[in-house]
Amino acid sequence: MADFGDPISDKQKVAIASDFILHAPPGEFNEVFNDVRILLNDDDLLKEGASGSFAQYNKDQFTPCKIKGSDELVLVTEHGDLGGSRFLDPRTKQSFKYDHLRKEATEEQPAKVDAGAEPWRSAIEASLTAYRDQHYKQGVVTVYGKSSGGNTTIIACIESHQYQPKNFWNGRLRSQWSVTFPESGGGKAELTGVIKVQVHYYEDGNVQLVTSKEVKQTLNISKHEKKSTKSEEQTAKEFSKIVVDAESDYQKAIGENYLTMSDTTFKALRRQLPVTRTKIDWNKIIGYKIGSELKNA
Amino acid sequence: SDQQLDCALDLMRRLPPQQIEKNLTDLIDLVPTLCEDLLSSVDQPLKIARDKQLGKDYLLCDYNRDGDSYRSPWSNTYDPPLDDGTLPSDRLRKLEIDANTAFDQYREMYFEGGVSSVYLWDLDHGFAGVILIKKAGDGSKKIKGCWDSIHVVEVQEKSSGRSAHYKLTSTVMLWLQTSKDASGVMNLGGSLTRQVEQDATVSDASPHIVNIGKMVEDMENKIRNTLNEIYFGKTRDIVYGLRSFIPLGDMKKQDALRNDLAAALSKRSAAQ
Repeated sequence: MADFGDPISDKQKVAIASDFILHAPPGEFNEVFNDVRILLNDDDLLKEGASGSFAQYNKDQFTPCKIKGSDELVLVTEHGDLGGSRFLDPRTKQSFKYDHLRKEATEEQPAKVDAGAEPWRSAIEASLTAYRDQHYKQGVVTVYGKSSGGNTTIIACIESHQYQPKNFWNGRLRSQWSVTFPESGGGKAELTGVIKVQVHYYEDGNVQLVTSKEVKQTLNISKHEKKSTKSEEQTAKEFSKIVVDAESDYQKAIGENYLTMSDTTFKALRRQLPVTRTKIDWNKIIGYKIGSELKNA
Repeated sequence: SDQQLDCALDLMRRLPPQQIEKNLTDLIDLVPTLCEDLLSSVDQPLKIARDKQLGKDYLLCDYNRDGDSYRSPWSNTYDPPLDDGTLPSDRLRKLEIDANTAFDQYREMYFEGGVSSVYLWDLDHGFAGVILIKKAGDGSKKIKGCWDSIHVVEVQEKSSGRSAHYKLTSTVMLWLQTSKDASGVMNLGGSLTRQVEQDATVSDASPHIVNIGKMVEDMENKIRNTLNEIYFGKTRDIVYGLRSFIPLGDMKKQDALRNDLAAALSKRSAAQ
């Protein structure tokens, strides 16, 4: 462990710098970036080799972003990545340029969305936004739709965070739900979801909660009816019900774990007091040794 | 440089503690000149080694390391063996043996299991030491838990020899992991650090081990309470703040009902 061998190459240093940046806790990108910048001590190398990690971090974290022409925030994710630092907002049919360091949107423009998927996408977006209103005080929902090879794929992303650096803590929840089904609807499809929570507490310490859960459920896809959005709305209703139930069950299970961890696991690691129910008599502790020495003398 | 060390330590407070060892290795690769400073100031989960001579376990840390070898507090020898490994002075070794015996009992009374080790080293006007304790849970209820204590004490003996100044810096690491169907993978881990200083009389009735023992015991009891509050109170509350289990519309209705009731009651008492 003490022998660290030969110095590493610039390429390896930049890889380490990127990895550190990708692991910044929610709300602490700037602090981690500044630490890494001073440790690497080579701004050109950092810009050249690690700027990909700035974008990757924002996409991984489902970073919410304010754009012109929308009351709702939009999430920066890999599914909306149009290349050249431009991202899609399917809700307002716009694309925008995103500055990954300043975390700002500019150059908003109208954008095309997949027409075939749009009725399903917007129904699910409306339904999940209503779910968001009921369960996420400060949450953001972005739903993507695309058609390919006769199939429609809908990917829904939900994000909610709380930053309180003055109180030395930050937290974020992210969930992503996807389903693929034939364009015309009908039949059943598999709705897969992943829910992740990360919490960082750092007053005189570093405590982090990292959790994730995968979900698979069957979703009934209503058959598309001409000149009506009833089937899309019905499917969206069921989609949201699965999401509500799964996320609520998950939150409940986390709460139960907390209880078991504190009542059972933690208690078994260290007692509050010895069985005597009083603190230790230290003179007695060192006295015992003398006593046994005398016995053996 | 000092600024780089500050940044490295800040980074270690932000990166997920679940990867402390990897983070530390990467950090040292990134800035090799900080190697010794980082190894001595970043706490890592304690590793256990076996003293084959005496058949007893002991804990590894930077304070009993010399090169790639570690010193056992039981046999006072290095593994792998060293010709000229750093050893405490004879007087200090006597105290170290007594300290290990005392804290072995402390460990048994509070932890009912686990491993402990105490290492001392000489200072100009006193001595310093580290008291280590490691306790792993039995994995019941499908939850893996582990506790690591690292107490570093600095003792400045006053020239009269009848009192001393004690400075204690304690870090407790607590690791909890579970993987179950309903809750997926849940990993709650990290550490808290506290510091305390005090003067105390040194006498036959109140020798160093008694003074240090009391400080460590009080400190660990305090930290245990704080760990309980932070891990199972604070972080849980933060999760509940990210998503509301009860539909917010229902909460608004509850709040409105509460306000209506309060208004009606105050109207009634005003009328009386």
